[in-house]
Amino acid sequence: MQFSRNAVLSCQILAAHPLRTLLSVAGVVVGVAAVILMVAVGQGAESRILDRIGRMGTDLITVNAAPARLMMGRQRTVATVTTLTARDARAIAEDCPHVAAAAPSVSKSLVVHWEDRNTTTNVIGMAADGFRIRNIPLTRGRPFDREDDRLRRRVAVIGQTVARNLFGAADPVGQDIRIGRVIFEVVGGASLRGTDATGMDQDDVVFVPLDTAMRRLLNIPYIQTIYVQAGSNVALDQAEREVRALLRERLRLAEGRPDTFTIQNQRTLIRTERDAARAMTLLIGSVASIALLVGGVGIMAVMLMAVRERTREIGLRRAVGARPRDIRVQFLIEAVLLAGSGGVLGVTIGIGVTFAAALFGAWSTKISWLAAVMALGFSMAVGVVFGIYPALRASRLEPIQALKFE
Amino acid sequence: MIELENLTKHYARGTMVTLALKSVSFRVEKGEFVAIMGASGSGKTTLMNILGGLDTPTSGTYRLDGLDMARATDDELSSIRNRKIGFVFQQFYLLDRADALKNVTLPLIYADGAGDDAARAGQALAAVGLAERAHHRPAELSGGEQQRVAIARALVTDPVMLLADEPTGNLDTRNGLEVLAIFQRLHREGRTIIMITHDVAVAEHARRLIVLQDGRIIGDQLVSHPRDAHDELGRLTPGAPGVRQG
Repeated sequence: MQFSRNAVLSCQILAAHPLRTLLSVAGVVVGVAAVILMVAVGQGAESRILDRIGRMGTDLITVNAAPARLMMGRQRTVATVTTLTARDARAIAEDCPHVAAAAPSVSKSLVVHWEDRNTTTNVIGMAADGFRIRNIPLTRGRPFDREDDRLRRRVAVIGQTVARNLFGAADPVGQDIRIGRVIFEVVGGASLRGTDATGMDQDDVVFVPLDTAMRRLLNIPYIQTIYVQAGSNVALDQAEREVRALLRERLRLAEGRPDTFTIQNQRTLIRTERDAARAMTLLIGSVASIALLVGGVGIMAVMLMAVRERTREIGLRRAVGARPRDIRVQFLIEAVLLAGSGGVLGVTIGIGVTFAAALFGAWSTKISWLAAVMALGFSMAVGVVFGIYPALRASRLEPIQALKFE
Repeated sequence: MIELENLTKHYARGTMVTLALKSVSFRVEKGEFVAIMGASGSGKTTLMNILGGLDTPTSGTYRLDGLDMARATDDELSSIRNRKIGFVFQQFYLLDRADALKNVTLPLIYADGAGDDAARAGQALAAVGLAERAHHRPAELSGGEQQRVAIARALVTDPVMLLADEPTGNLDTRNGLEVLAIFQRLHREGRTIIMITHDVAVAEHARRLIVLQDGRIIGDQLVSHPRDAHDELGRLTPGAPGVRQG
């Protein structure tokens, strides 16, 4: 049998009933379009999360003084723990071979004033290296340096949310702000960083030198967090092991006792977040695929109708030499063509809607060509699966009975 | 070329057994133009189905061009129908959505041989005088023209036998005669034609007449004075609508 010739004829037959053809593939069209859109939204969310985490640096290890507790399904550090000091940070930087740098830090929520305005924000006392380790570039002014830290200078770098809340559109650099009762000079502004994985606004922050914070603001001898930069991306896990071993030794934790501190590795965080985003994408993708399956029922209905309607044509084809196999293949091809055209239409609509959503909505989307190809392939597979039964029925018709069919 | 020997066919419906053909035997040589006649219920449709390879006999033998048709499988019969038999039906059975040329091409879709299908279909259409109608759809053709397209479709695979089932049954006198004139010309050109009809006037255009009654052959003779469809067409009043046959 000559495929191409028959396929052309099949197309003509399908095109002869445009409305019915369209209705029968509507399910497949909606299903494919939904898969494309949902996966695009899911992948958009995933890449946005990864981008945000990536901006914090992928060679970052965060050590928290408090042990981890599982709260509301997320790891959170709780309670005030006074076990870590700046000396621990120095030891990590000096004694761990795979660690490049370590910046201790403290933080507290405080009210910050400028003229008659004030805002409650997260004040972070941080060693000067922290800007580099945590990958926080400045958009204006300068960061504070080790000299500022050593001399406990009252200088501050402010995040964009704080800048907006206190200064509006005005340039904050050079202005004096008051944190608690202490006056600080704003020397720089951090670049926009967005929210972190837990939804915290990373721009609602004021950075001050660590010693300034510990001695002048909080009056505490201990630190809360150490930001550790691994020697390289590949050494991240090795660096984490070294930091853990060193801290356990310095804290004199006996073997078998749990850590009293928490270590978070940026790569683990990325992995966790990506897995969560992927699971979500997969879930909504599979829900959309159900629409595709339902679409297959429409294909089957219209093919069964076509077989009935074209019984005499089938009889004639059998009379002029078509084998049952030829009839079967023909109707299968028609079902696949039908489902495939629905798939193409669905991909087109899905991509169109995705672009529209990205253009008019707040959704960030990322079109997955793999999902498009898979949805198209899946729709054709739906054509095969739901076309088999009608095709079998067509091929089992007796030529004589088929020709006499009214 | 066509050999039937003690061909019997019965249909079982529940406990009832209907004998449609009872021990039918005859031979048709290459180049013959045979009419098989009989009233409805005489078994002529059953005979036609078996001759066309659309049905198999209960017993007896049927050889077509040396092939044993009684024991062929469904696939083999399909192939034989494609290569050896050209069907012409009472209801034409053209595909509405395809033009004349595509309709004539249809059997070639299922043929093995490569070649220019469109050219062969064009030649077949020319042989029935419809070359200039190649791109008309069935709805745009008269009944006679539709049947001529069907004849072209039967001829396109160059079969050893044309098998026509009441080919003039749906046509008026003029169109019916035109179809019969084409059969007579094809016969003169050497085609083997078997035509099944219940109408004596139609049957008398053939050279040989086999009469069936109750599943048996009750007559098999040459037609002494075959009618000439071409002459009859000439005697029809030009432009007269013609009387519908039977």
